[in-house]
This record gives sequence, structure tokens and C-alpha cells, in this order.
Amino acid sequence: MAGSNENRVMKKNTNPWLEAWRRLLQSKIGIAGLVIIIFLILVALLAPVLAPYDPIKTNIIARYKAPSSEHLLGTDGLGRDILSRIIYGSRISLQVGLFSVALALLFGVGFGLLAGYYGGKLDMVIMRFMDIMLAFPSILLAIGIVAILGPQLKNAMIAIGIINVPRFARIVRSSVLSIKESEYISAARALGAGDLRIIFKHLLPNAMAPLIVQTTLSIATAILEAAALSFLGLGAQPPSPEWGAMLSDARSSLQKAPWVATFPGLAIIFGVLGFNLLGDGLRDALDPKMKNV
Amino acid sequence: MRKITLTTLIILVVMSVFVTGVMAQEQGGTLVFGRGGDTVGLDPIQVTDGESFKVTQQIYDTLVDYTPGTTEVEPALATDWEVSEDGLTWTFNLREGVEFHDGNPFNAEAVKWNFDRWRLEDHPYHIGGEFTYYGYMFQGFPGIIQEVNVVDDLTVEFVLSEKQAPFLNNLAMVPFGIASPEAVKEHGEDYFKNPVGTGAYTLEEWRQGDRVILKANENYWRERAYLDEIVFRSIPDNSARFMELQSGTIDMMDGVSPEDVEAVESADELKLSLRPSMNVGYFAMNFNFEPFDDVRVRRAFNHAIDKQAIIDAFYAGLAEPAKNPMPPSIWGYNDDIEPYEYNPEKAKELLAEAGYEDGFEFDLWYLPVPRPYIPQGKFIGQAIQSYLSEIGVTANLVTYDWSTYLDKTEHQEAPTYMLGWTGDNGDPDNFLYVLLDKTNSNNAYESEELHEVLVEAQKTMDQETRVELYMEAQEIIHKDAPWVPLVHSTPPIALKSNVENYVPNPTGTEKLHRVWLAE
Repeated sequence: MAGSNENRVMKKNTNPWLEAWRRLLQSKIGIAGLVIIIFLILVALLAPVLAPYDPIKTNIIARYKAPSSEHLLGTDGLGRDILSRIIYGSRISLQVGLFSVALALLFGVGFGLLAGYYGGKLDMVIMRFMDIMLAFPSILLAIGIVAILGPQLKNAMIAIGIINVPRFARIVRSSVLSIKESEYISAARALGAGDLRIIFKHLLPNAMAPLIVQTTLSIATAILEAAALSFLGLGAQPPSPEWGAMLSDARSSLQKAPWVATFPGLAIIFGVLGFNLLGDGLRDALDPKMKNV
Repeated sequence: MRKITLTTLIILVVMSVFVTGVMAQEQGGTLVFGRGGDTVGLDPIQVTDGESFKVTQQIYDTLVDYTPGTTEVEPALATDWEVSEDGLTWTFNLREGVEFHDGNPFNAEAVKWNFDRWRLEDHPYHIGGEFTYYGYMFQGFPGIIQEVNVVDDLTVEFVLSEKQAPFLNNLAMVPFGIASPEAVKEHGEDYFKNPVGTGAYTLEEWRQGDRVILKANENYWRERAYLDEIVFRSIPDNSARFMELQSGTIDMMDGVSPEDVEAVESADELKLSLRPSMNVGYFAMNFNFEPFDDVRVRRAFNHAIDKQAIIDAFYAGLAEPAKNPMPPSIWGYNDDIEPYEYNPEKAKELLAEAGYEDGFEFDLWYLPVPRPYIPQGKFIGQAIQSYLSEIGVTANLVTYDWSTYLDKTEHQEAPTYMLGWTGDNGDPDNFLYVLLDKTNSNNAYESEELHEVLVEAQKTMDQETRVELYMEAQEIIHKDAPWVPLVHSTPPIALKSNVENYVPNPTGTEKLHRVWLAE
């Protein structure tokens, strides 16, 4: 019953999340990001309706056709419609972004909470391990992981998830450390709250704001990293219309048919930009110093 | 149209050779050769890849050599030779006054030492690799070379256990370059980094993964090379390499992407040279994997792929469709074979007959790197995938990095795979026996019938009988359809227009000591 009482008390104050949402809608950057992302999601969901052609079916007689009314963005080296491939590619990119970041979030938050809350040797072991991972250039680490697991889109997603774990762990740990010693935590403990209750009821919600920002920004980097891995032949395998893989295929025709490389490149920029803008907008919106401005 | 351009090209190439003959050659300069991969090793007997042979060819000489641009045999380290009545004893007279780069003399002892090292598994220096090409060409270890005898300082005698018709052609192959025995003894396992031969160039530096630098050998037994220095640079990406050629940082390149052929032809400062076609690019099906043990399935695949369309799209037309595993430029080619025509309907019927009317799923391995016979593996793999999907079969594209790919296909791990072969010596044996005999095939094709014919052809010295035997072998292969033979390509090479006297060999590598740079 105590819980519902608390809720009632909360409702009287302005809900901080609502507040943040309001502020996000006031920021042009945030709106732009949001619009791009909603657009991408719609494109991904409606791909079969939107795409004018089959993204996989080759037609080697119609190779390297320049953009025209028939093929709005031209065709690639196997005569496939580039527009259709980009539309279907948005599904892959979003999927990679969401899945790999979810994976990173799950493990990053877990490690961060453990390290921050329990401290001592456990903290030491977990955080040194995270430092080791951060010491590698992330793409190199991802390449290494994919090399072990085998070049597949699924494995690329796992690899990108793994390399993003330390960032989340650090964020969570630092916010846990900063409030672990607060009086209200001591009070909660004095009232007999268990570790789990303290962690999930008090510590985690306090880390939410930076986590949301980091998640959004990480989706952007994840999309970029997946494209990079696919470009190197370590991610999506042909004939999958992954944007990075499309870019890679276009290398041999850079001089002859520049549009084959241009449009997937723009698509990657567009997707990454969307999540980056939203991330920036969220950062401003969730900044407690900005309250009631 | 396409035929006309090809003919004009050939005329241009011939003309350029003619013009070269008239102009005065110039001494000196550095030639930078851009290529797709680095050398694996510089001990020619231990390597099997063209990128290694390209360099070892400059450092070593063989007993006999191919006349440039052909597979005719001419004297090299051996000045002349004779063969006994029974075809079992070959005697070679060696060239006088030839020295290895380390100053040691080249003589009959050195020849014997090299051959003993290659063929005798208990030889103390039978180390540093698997001596693959020796095993291929002379049938294992010690193989058919029973004895190598030093008759006198400049005469060496080979005693064979059985006749081998292409013996002389085999000796001219790059892997059988004669190394300095002293250098091999000195470096042992590391000899592949410290090559010492008798060739026109010596190794200056090898920066692994980047470049090999060669310097002219001042004591070369032929005329000294025109170029002072040759740099072989590895630039894996075809278009990056082409951009370097356009910007002038390299002087010539092979592995020209078909997309760039037009640009080479239209640029004033560049020219195109065509390597005589002696290769095959193929798609193999592994008998160990169901349903490829069924000949109807293999024939169905043969009917399902439109080779001419692939050539038009991915070879800039510089290839011809293959119906046999060996190219028509090699004697003994069976032109009477009726190719499996492109006919998806017939392919479907055959699949239905074999009980696969609903199709099946399998892994298709595509080449991870551009090769002369398959310049765009990923595209061609996807094209094949799409042709096969039309007959209801689902191919999943798979690949590995190049050395793993080769290793795994050699160990018969690939259900189906794309690969190719560039001939070494102009003999049908070098295609049919090396690629499809039961002792060598990578796709578990083990035909006794074919083996008997091929082995008999090796032992027959009479040319007409050999032709007949190889004709028969091609019929057997056609009937069994272990591959879909795809193409015989004419690999284009792009050069700056001041690179003179470059004559590409059909074997895929050539000596560059007669190449020179005009102002």
C-alpha cells in the first residue's frame, strides 16, 4: 500500500520525465532527430510496400544504370535497384542498432551496478576488465570478436554489443558511486530495504538520464560500426542489402558508377545523424541543471 | 562489337611490340608493379600462388624456359638436352660460367642437390614446406625421378621410373627454379626470406605485406636487365590500385577490374596488354555432400547458369564460356563436346528426376579475392546464386579469407565452391590431372575411369595418342560433370604507355629483364 501512496505524492509534483519530454519537444535538434528516427522506423516497417523492386533479385543485363525515373537511385553491379536495397537495408541497420545496444545495456548496467554498489575487490576486477576492453580501439576489438565467431551479421551484432559494454558499465557505476552514500540510501537501508530493493528502486533510476542519452548515441555508433564490419566483409553477407556491404561492393565502380557508393553512404549518414541528434536533444532535456528553464 | 574491340586490342598490342623493336632501349630506372597480394614466400618450390611466382621468376632460372608469350620450351640454364630411346633417361648439358647471386658456381652438383632436396623426404634440407609442386608434377616423393646423376661438372642426367611426356615442359615451370645450395643450407627454414638464385634480379628487401624490392644482377648470364630496380607493391583493392596507376605512383598493374578496362583504353597515358588465355574459372560441387553425389543434380547446375551473360557483365567481354576444364589454347582440347546449354527448364526437370523438385539448400563458397580467372568473386557468386534460385535451389553465400579458403577447399570442406587455375606449362596434364584426377581433386571426384586414362596419357610419348587420350578424358569429365566450367578469361594488364617490351606469358608470370622504360 505504501507504494501507491508514494505514487500519489509523486503525481502532485511535476513528473520529471514528462518535464524532460516537454523540453525535448522544445529543442529543434531533438525534434529533427526524432523525426528522422520515426521516418526510418516507418521505412523499415513498410519496406515491402515502399520498395519498388526486389532487393535481392539480380538482373545482370541492367548493371550500373544511372538514376532515372525507372530506378530512382540507379542500379548496382548486379542490376539491383539501389533504392529498394536501401529501404530494406534500414531494417538491418535498425535491427543491429537496437539489438547490439540492448545487449550492451543489459551487461553494462549489470556490471556497473555490481561494481558500484559492492565496491572493493569486485569493483576492482570488473572495472579493470572494462578498462582493458576500452584500451583497444573498439572497431579492432569488434573485428577480433567477429574473427573468432565467424563473419555473420548475427555475430557482428554480438561483437558490437560486447564492445559497448564498458561505456554503460562506467556510467552506471559512477552514478551509483555518487549517490550510494546519500542519506536517503542510508535511511532506506535503516528501514530494512534489501540490496536488490535499493539497487533497483533507488540507484538505477538515478542513473536513467545519462543511460538514455548514452543508449541513443550508442545506437548511432552501433549502426556505423555494423556498416564498417560489413564493409570489411565481416558483417552482413551477400546478397543482404546492408548499407556498409553495399558501400563495399561499390568500391570497384567508384569511377564508373559513383551513385552506387553515394546513396548507401548517405543512408548511413542519415541514420547515424538521426540518433545523434536525438541523443543530443535528450542530453539537454534530461540535464537536471536545465530544470524549469 | 565486342569481337571487333578485342581484335583491335590484339592488333594494338602487336603493334606496340613492333614499335618497341624499332626504338632504342634505355637502361636504368625503377618499375613499380602493383598487384593484389603479397608474396607468400620466395622459395619457389614451397609456394603455389602467382604472387610469389611473379617475384621468384625474376630471382631464379630454370633448366629450360618458355619462349616469352608461349609455352614452347627453349634453353635456359641447360643449353641442350637429349632423351634416351626408352624415354627414361634425360641428359642435360648445363651453361658454363653461371654464378649464383652469392658467388657460388652453378653446376651439375647444384642441380642434383636441388632435385634431391625436393624429391627425397629424408634429405636434411627437405624442410620449410610441403614441396607441393614437385608432388603435383612428378607424382609424389620421390616420384618418378628415380635418380639424378652428375655425369661431369656441366652434365646432369635424370633417370625416370616411368615415361613422362611433359617432362621437359614441367622442368620449365617457375617452381623448379634452381637455388644456391649453400644459401639453403645457411638459412634452413628461413630460406624463403633469403632467396639466392641465378636470375636477372636479386632480392634487395622484402617488407612483408607491403612490397618486394629487387635490384638488377650485374653478373647475369644473359644480358643485364634494362631496369635497375623492380618494386612489387601489394595493393589489395583493385580500384585503389587503379587509382594509383592513374596518378602515376605505379607503372603497371595486373588484376584490372573489368569496370576499369574502358578507362584504360581511353586514357592516353595508359595502355592495355592482354595475357594469352590459359586458365579456367569454375564452380565445383563436392561429391561428399548430398545431393552433389547425384550426377543429375550436377548436370542440372550446368544447365542453370548463363555463362555468356556472366562474361558480358563481369569480364568486360574478355573471356569465353568454358565447356571443358582446360582452355582451347592448349593442344588436345576437345571441341566436339556439346556444352550443357543454358536451359533452366531442363535443369528443373533434371532436379525433379533426382527427387529435388522442391529444391534444397546448400552453402556456396565464393572467392574472397579477385583472381585473373574470376575477377569479381562476390558478384559472380551472387549471380550464380540468383541463377540457381530460378531452378528452385537456395544457395547461402559463404566465404573466408583467401588462405583459409584455399586450405579448406583443399581439405574438401566446401560443399560447392568457386575456384580457378592458370596453366603452368601448356600441357593438358597440368589441367586435367592436377585438377580432376582422383589423387588431386578438391571435390571428392574420384573417377577410376578418368584416372586410368590420365595416367596412361602421362606415360605415352606419342603425341597423337596423347591427344586421343585427353580427348577421351574430357568426354569422361563432361559426362560426370564434377564442375560447372565457367570461363576461360583473357586477363587484362594495364601499363603506363612508357613501359616497353612487356610480353605477358600465358602461364601468368613472366621475366621482366627485357622490360624498359621510355622517357
